[in-house]
Formats: sequence, structure tokens, C-alpha cells
Amino acid sequence: MCLVISSITTRTLAQDTIQFPMKFRLGFEASGSAKYFYEKDRANLEGYFSADINEKFSGIFIAGRSDYSYARYRDSSFLMYDYRTKGFYFRTGIDVNLLKPARSQGKYFIGIGFRYGISHFTYEIPIITHENYWGRSQTSVSSTSAWAHFVELTPGVRAEVFKNLSMGWTVSLRKMIDPGTGSDMKPVYLPGYGNGSKSFSPGFSYFIIWSIPFKTKRIIIQPKEEEEVDETDQNQNQNQNQNQNSDMMRPGNFRQQNSGAPF
Amino acid sequence: MRRSLQAFVVIIISGSCLFLNSCLEVTCIDETEAYVKANFYSYSTGKPLVPDSLTLYGIDMENVLIYDSVKITPPALIPLRDSTNHAAFVIRINGVNDTIEFIYSSYTHLVTKECGYSTYHNIDTTYFTKHAIDSISTKNKSITTDNVENISIYY
Repeated sequence: MCLVISSITTRTLAQDTIQFPMKFRLGFEASGSAKYFYEKDRANLEGYFSADINEKFSGIFIAGRSDYSYARYRDSSFLMYDYRTKGFYFRTGIDVNLLKPARSQGKYFIGIGFRYGISHFTYEIPIITHENYWGRSQTSVSSTSAWAHFVELTPGVRAEVFKNLSMGWTVSLRKMIDPGTGSDMKPVYLPGYGNGSKSFSPGFSYFIIWSIPFKTKRIIIQPKEEEEVDETDQNQNQNQNQNQNSDMMRPGNFRQQNSGAPF
Repeated sequence: MRRSLQAFVVIIISGSCLFLNSCLEVTCIDETEAYVKANFYSYSTGKPLVPDSLTLYGIDMENVLIYDSVKITPPALIPLRDSTNHAAFVIRINGVNDTIEFIYSSYTHLVTKECGYSTYHNIDTTYFTKHAIDSISTKNKSITTDNVENISIYY
């Protein structure tokens, strides 16, 4: 007859915890507004909302509106095209903070975001001029609406500079899924994406964010206890003798049996 | 407070560098003209045979020659007219005149933001005379900026 005898050694470690503030964040993208002061043909307003899911992940939702016009000249007398677009865009996804909770403290962020974006826009091209051997010709494209889809990878940083007021920037690495206009009339500018003639579009966003703590989470940053499980499967008679000997021989077990105190 | 100030300075400086860098304008480096790309072959052997002398111009465009008695490096690039759905050319191969006419449809294509728009075409029919030319074979009806042979001229 066999008997399973388990000897469990428990070591209790000093517990170290922090109070991590979980936050909602409301903000806006500042560089679009700044650009408007010297580039009047581009207006971009973008709002930002995020909520901490835990100390590492936060869900994010971004909504924006763009109004953009662009005239491209070959030289001062030759207008190649005049492109106008306006529309709304939305992005949603998650941010992953790569800082450990003890370091980020809910105030600092160095991490990466993953987002899916959708853009609904209207565009028109009042003038397209083309010139070749046969001379100069002009055509136009009337106002047309479309939906575009893209994904985005956003490494970035953020820091709380005053109580509950943060600033930060993200680099946006955007990949087009579908421009919504077919392969021949890709958008010169796609709201929320940038240069729609490219399948990859890098961008940059500068955010000013107001944080609203909604909960404090207690985070254990060192494990409370560690268990060592030592199982032996031995004959009952042999076990009794051997366990008596071995338990007395093991310093850990000896301490546990005698003191029961954590170490 | 001191730590927040340091973070503020780092974010402002690094962000400003990226912001300024994002404003750079890029020039056009792509091909923007869509030509009919024609290669020449010997009708007897079927092997490539570049004419010693090629002259090409559009009908009603006699004063502006596309090629003027030159030995070309293939392919010959033949520009189509954007404003109509047909274009006719006089082609002189080693001193013998022929005419080629293309019937096609056109559409606008964005090359890039920097390069602007090009006009692409789809060839419907090709007509030609047979003085020097024996036959013309259409290899690819889509006339774009891609470096693809569109027609083969056997002479």
C-alpha cells in the first residue's frame, strides 16, 4: 500500500504595495491647432478620451475633424491640381504602458498604442491639369463621399507636469487598409490618416491631457509568498522512518516546524 | 516638482524636433506620363529588331516630332491624347511611312501627392497601314506609367 506524503514549505516574503491611481483622461491634440496659425489651408481638431483598464492597459477613443485644401503647382503658371477635402475620423484601441507601476505612478507613460481608424470624408478636385505632347488638358472631379479604414501603431511618451495635467506626444505609424476611393483616386489627404496616396503614413500628435482619478488600485509589486512543494511517493513504513530523519535534516522544515515564522 | 519639470522639458524638446521634421515638403520622383510602349520585331524571324531610323509624330502635329530619324533605345514611347478617345500617328520606319491609330478610353489616376495626377488609358482598337509594318500585336491594353510592353510592331 502506497501513501502520498507531501511536505510543503512556505516562505513568506515582505509585502510591498503601491496605491495606483486609475484615471480617465480627456485631452486634445495641440499640433493641429498650432499648424493652423501658419498653414491656413489645413484645420484639424482632435479630442482624446482614455480610461485605465489596469495599471498597464488603457482603452482609448479619439475623434476628430479635418478641413484641408491643397493646391500643387509645377511652377507659378501651371496649377497641377487643386484638392479639397473635409471629414470626420475616429480611432479606437489600447495603450500599453511599458513602465512598471512603481515607476509610472499613474503619471508617466512610455509605451505604445494600437488603434483602428475609420474616416468619413468628402473630397472634390475642381482642377486637374495635365500636359503632354498633345498640349494641355483639364479635368475635374465633383464632390464625392467615401469611407476609409486604417490601422495605427503609436509609440509615445506622456508625463504629468502639473497635478492632473499631462502633456505628451505620439509618433503615428499608419497603414492603410482601404482608402474607400479605389486605387486610381486615392485621397491626397485623408482626415485622420494624412497622405492617402501612400499605403504607409507617418504622423505626429501632441496632446494636452486632463486626468480624472476614479479609483485607487492596490498593486502588489513583490509576491506575498512563495511556495515550495516537495512531493515524495514512498512506502508507508519506509516513509515514516525516512521522513523523521529527513525532516530533521532539512533546515527549512526544521525552522518552520519550530518557529513557524516567516523569513 | 523638479522631476515634473525635467519631464516637461524632455517632452517639449523631443516633440518640437518631431513636429518641425513633419513639415518637410517632398519632391516628385515618380514617372507621371503614361505612354504606349512599343517594341519592334522582325516579321520574318520574330526576334527584336530596332529600326536604324525611326520618325514619329502625331497627325496634325507635323511640326513637333516625337522621334526624328533616330535609332531609339526600345521601347518607343507613344503619348496618347487626353482630351479625346483616339490618337493617330505617322510612323516612318527606315524611310517608309505608315500610320497607326489608337482608339481608347481614359481615366485619371493619382500618382502621388507630390507628382499629381496622370491620365491612364485602356486601348480598345489599333488600326495601322501596311507599308513597312507587317502586323501589330497588342500585349497589354492598359496604358499606365508601369514599364510594361503594350504593343509589338513587326516590320
